[in-house]
Amino acid sequence: MPENTPPGGEDPGRGLSGVQRAGIVLGGLAVLLIVFVVLQGADDSGSPSSSSAPQTTATQTATTQTTATEAATTDDSGEDSTTGTTTDDSGSTTGTTTDDSGSGGGGSDGDAESETGTTETQPSAPAVRTIRVVNGRPAGGVRRLEYQRGDRIRFKVQSDVTDEVHVHGYDVSKNVSAGSSVTFSFTANIEGRFEIELENAHTQIAELEVKPS
Amino acid sequence: MIRGVRIAAAAAALAGGAVAALPDAALAHGLVGRQDLPIPRWLFAWGAAVVLVVSFVALAVLWPRPRLEEAREKRVLGVPVVLEVLAGVIGVLGFAAVVYAGLAGTQTATANLAPTAIYVVFWIGIPFLSVLFGDVFAPFNPWRAIARGVAWVVGRAARGKLPAPMAYPVWLGRWPAAFGILAFAWVELVYVNRDDPSTLAGLALLYAAVQLVGMSLYGIDTWTRRADAFAVYFELFARLAPLHWRDRALYRRPPLSGAPGLHAVPGTVALLCVMIGTTSFDGFSQGDLWTGTNGIAPTLQERFLDLGFSQETALQITFTVGLVLMVGFVGGLYRLGVAGMGSIGGRHRPGELAQRFAHSLIPIALAYVVAHYFSLLAYQGQAMAALLSDPLGDGADLLGTASATIDYNVISATGIWYVQVGALVLGHAAGLTLAHDRALTVYRRVRDATRSQYWMLAVMVGFTSLGLWLLSASAQS
Repeated sequence: MPENTPPGGEDPGRGLSGVQRAGIVLGGLAVLLIVFVVLQGADDSGSPSSSSAPQTTATQTATTQTTATEAATTDDSGEDSTTGTTTDDSGSTTGTTTDDSGSGGGGSDGDAESETGTTETQPSAPAVRTIRVVNGRPAGGVRRLEYQRGDRIRFKVQSDVTDEVHVHGYDVSKNVSAGSSVTFSFTANIEGRFEIELENAHTQIAELEVKPS
Repeated sequence: MIRGVRIAAAAAALAGGAVAALPDAALAHGLVGRQDLPIPRWLFAWGAAVVLVVSFVALAVLWPRPRLEEAREKRVLGVPVVLEVLAGVIGVLGFAAVVYAGLAGTQTATANLAPTAIYVVFWIGIPFLSVLFGDVFAPFNPWRAIARGVAWVVGRAARGKLPAPMAYPVWLGRWPAAFGILAFAWVELVYVNRDDPSTLAGLALLYAAVQLVGMSLYGIDTWTRRADAFAVYFELFARLAPLHWRDRALYRRPPLSGAPGLHAVPGTVALLCVMIGTTSFDGFSQGDLWTGTNGIAPTLQERFLDLGFSQETALQITFTVGLVLMVGFVGGLYRLGVAGMGSIGGRHRPGELAQRFAHSLIPIALAYVVAHYFSLLAYQGQAMAALLSDPLGDGADLLGTASATIDYNVISATGIWYVQVGALVLGHAAGLTLAHDRALTVYRRVRDATRSQYWMLAVMVGFTSLGLWLLSASAQS
C-alpha cells in the first residue's frame, strides 16, 4: 500500500503531487505488463483460446478412457459389458468409432467418416458414450460429456423407462422406449453447458459441455 | 424435479438418487437452455490482476475534493402528463397479460409467456435498462398506476376529503423491500415450483395486492420509495444512470452521481447485501463445493432427511439455509470493512459509516447481476419473440413470430466471459470511486479519507474476487 505523505503537510487540496500520481500509474502499467508477460510465458502459443486447446484435448482423451472404464465398472448390473470396450485409439485419423450397436437398438451412426474431416490434428471424436438410465435415473449420477466446438457429439442413451430424451440448447429430441436405447449424433456448434434430460420425467441424465475451440 | 415415487422403487438407489437429483434443482431455473461455461484460468488471473491495479491507480489519481457529491443536473426536456398516463396504462395491461397467460396458458414453463416475462424481461431486463436510461420502471409500475388511478377517481368523488395517509415508521425504512427481494430470490432459487406459470401468476397478484394495501395505508409515493421491493430495487440501479426522470421532466447528470443522494434509511444496507448475496448464491449453488458428491448441500440435505422431512422439503430447507448464509456472509464482509474504517479518525461509529457508504455497493450489486445474468438476457430474452406471438402456448401466432427460435450464437462463450469479467472490474472501479468521494465528505482530512479507503478497498477487492471466483472453474466445475 502506498502511504500518502502529501508534500504540503495537511493541505486539504492535494494528497499527492503530480509526479507521484504519474509514478503510481506507471507502476500499475508495469504490473499489468509483467502479468501479461508471465501469462504469455505460461502458455507457449500466446493466444488464450488456442493455448488451452492442447491441454483440454489431452484431458479429453484421458477422460474418454476413464469414462469408458467407468462405464464398464458401473454397468456390472446391466446385461452388456460391451459398452466398456468402446475404446478409441486416438492416434489414428480414420475415426474408428467402435460402437456397440448390437447391444441396444438403432445405432445410426453412419457418419464416422465425416467427422475425421472436421478435426484433423486432434484425435478423432471419442467413442460413443453411453448414458445408462436405471429406474428412471442416470446410473452413477449426472456425468458431463465434454466436447470442443466443431467436434461431432455422439452419445447413446440406454433407458429402462419410456421417455423423450431432450438436449437443451441444441433442441434435439428423440424418443426412447423402455429397455432400448437411442443414439445421438450432431455437430457441436453452440458453446456452453446444456442439460440432457428425460423430458417428461424432468430428470437430468447428463450434462453436455461444449468449449470454444 | 424429484419424483419420490421412483426413488421408492429401489431402496438401494435412494442414496444415489438423492445425489443425482441435486444438480437438477441447482440449476437457476428450467428456463435456462444454456448455461455459461466457467471463465478459464487465464482470464481469472487477468481479471484479478486488473482489479488490483485499478485499485492502486484509483487511490493515486482520484480527485482530492468530492465531485460526484456535488454534481449538478441539467434539465433536458419536459414530459407531458398524457405520456405518464399512457405509460401507466401500458404497465397495467402488460401486468394483466402476464398474469392471464400464467393462469390460462399452458403450464409448460418455456411455452408460457409468464415465466420468461417475469424472470428474464422484468427481473433482469429492467435493471439493464435502468442503468442506461434511469428509472424507467416507475412510470410503468402497474400497481402504482392502479393506485394512482383509484386515488384520482376517489379524490374526484370525495372532493378532496380523503384521509391523510399514516406516517411511515422511520425504523421500517427499506426493510420491506429487503424482505421482498429476498422472498423473490427464494422463489427463483429455492422454491420447487418456481417455473410453474400459474403459481408465478398467483404470486404476482399477491404481490400487487400487498402493494395496494401498503400504498393505501402509507401513501403511494412513500410506499413506492421505501417498501415496494421491485420499485426500490430498480430505483437503486437507476441512480447510476446518466438520466434522471423527476417532476415530469428529464434531467441529465454525470453517471454514478445519483448514487450519493441515496438516503440509507434502515434496511438499505440489508437490501444491498440481499441483492449481492442472492446473486452470489445463484452462482455458488451451481458449484461443486455446494452441489458435488461430498458438497455442502447433499450433507445438509441428509441431515434434514434424518429429521423426517421429505426429499423435496429437505432440499428446499437446505437451499434456504444456503441462501440466507450467503446473504449473511456478504453482510459480514461489508461490516468488517466498515468496522476497520471506524478505527480511523476516531469520530465515526461503524453503524453510521455502514449507512454512509452503502451507496458504494450499488455498482457491485449491478456488476453481479450483469456477470451472472447477461447471457440469460441475451439468449432467453430472444424467446420473447415467440412468446409474445403465442403467450398461452396454444398455437396462436398474434405477431407472426411464433416460430422464432433462440440463436445461441449471437454471442460466443468467449464474448460472454469478457462481458462478465468486464462488468466486475467496472463495478469495482465504480464502487471505489463512490466510496472515495464519500470519504472526502465524511473525513475532514484528506489523509484520514485515504487511510479509511484502504479498508473499503479491501472490501471491494473481496467482493470482486468473490464474484470472479463464482464465475471460475474452481467454483463451477
